[in-house]
Amino acid sequence: MAAPAQLGLQNAASPIMEELIAFHDHALMIIFLISSLVLYIISLMLTTKLTHTSTMNAQEIEMIWTILPAMILIMIALPSLRILYMTDEFNKPYLTLKAIGHQWYWSYEYSDYEDLAFDSYIMPTYFLEPGEFRLLEVDNRTTLPMEADIRVLISSQDVLHSWAVPSLGVKTDAIPGRLNQAMVASMRPGLYYGQCSEICGSNHSFMPIVLEFIYFQDFEVWASYLYI
Amino acid sequence: MAAVPEPDEPAKRKPFKLLGILDVENIPCARDSILYGSLGSVVAGFGHFLLTSRIRRSCDVGVGGFILVTLGCWFHCRYNYAKQKIQQRITRQGMKNKLLYEGTHLDPERKQNNGNSSN
Repeated sequence: MAAPAQLGLQNAASPIMEELIAFHDHALMIIFLISSLVLYIISLMLTTKLTHTSTMNAQEIEMIWTILPAMILIMIALPSLRILYMTDEFNKPYLTLKAIGHQWYWSYEYSDYEDLAFDSYIMPTYFLEPGEFRLLEVDNRTTLPMEADIRVLISSQDVLHSWAVPSLGVKTDAIPGRLNQAMVASMRPGLYYGQCSEICGSNHSFMPIVLEFIYFQDFEVWASYLYI
Repeated sequence: MAAVPEPDEPAKRKPFKLLGILDVENIPCARDSILYGSLGSVVAGFGHFLLTSRIRRSCDVGVGGFILVTLGCWFHCRYNYAKQKIQQRITRQGMKNKLLYEGTHLDPERKQNNGNSSN
């Protein structure tokens, strides 16, 4: 989850998010260099005594400031498209999870086994234990196995929602009447927090998502307890 | 996720960001690229000035040198960083597989030794 007043991306817990962070660094470096160049040119314009009021054509500079931005855009677009297609790769998933948005909570279904389903409401502030996070904790966390490709089918029961977990690099709209698919895989065990990312009413800010990634053996024990 | 700092831990200072956007402390290769770029800028600009004694043109060459050297160092460093990460991942996976499968029929070293002995 984010630290207080954090502006940057959260640490990556999935390979896709690692790629996204690398791309973000790449784009930021290009932005920084362009900004430096523009600031320098502005300072030149402000400090020159030279004027030329009868310029008719300037073929060379026109060529430069057409070709250079095109090359910069290509340098940004190629890694971007690579990651875009990478996010659409669907390896054979170990597990399928359905995440359904409601006003104002998420419900999860594990249909691979028998009918495993539960709702996940925000934990009210007065119920929080010391050390828990305000407006981020839920009563029932979504438990998943780590180091496994998990297919998440996202939909909604009523209005538009969006299922987002920043540290896994996933954000997918939950649209009523439509099933959207996302792949999720965590490299480490832990808790990963997210929040609804599409305005959906008065309690839009109060329907968080908590994924708990655990080892395979522990996941099987957890799944078996849900039948009791 | 950042943990709440303990009372005796020093407070984390705000990260330094060039032009308010580039966090040179935490982005891999950023600090080295900017430093090499600055060095390249000084060398190119000053060298041009020594050769031509034109101040404004030397400043332009300096800025151009900064951009080119920074970009070149950045791509070179990030390429090596990506290669290193991949090798680390392969090594980590290999160590895990060795621990998990040692002594079993899935042991990759056993399969390799069987292959060598049959040859």
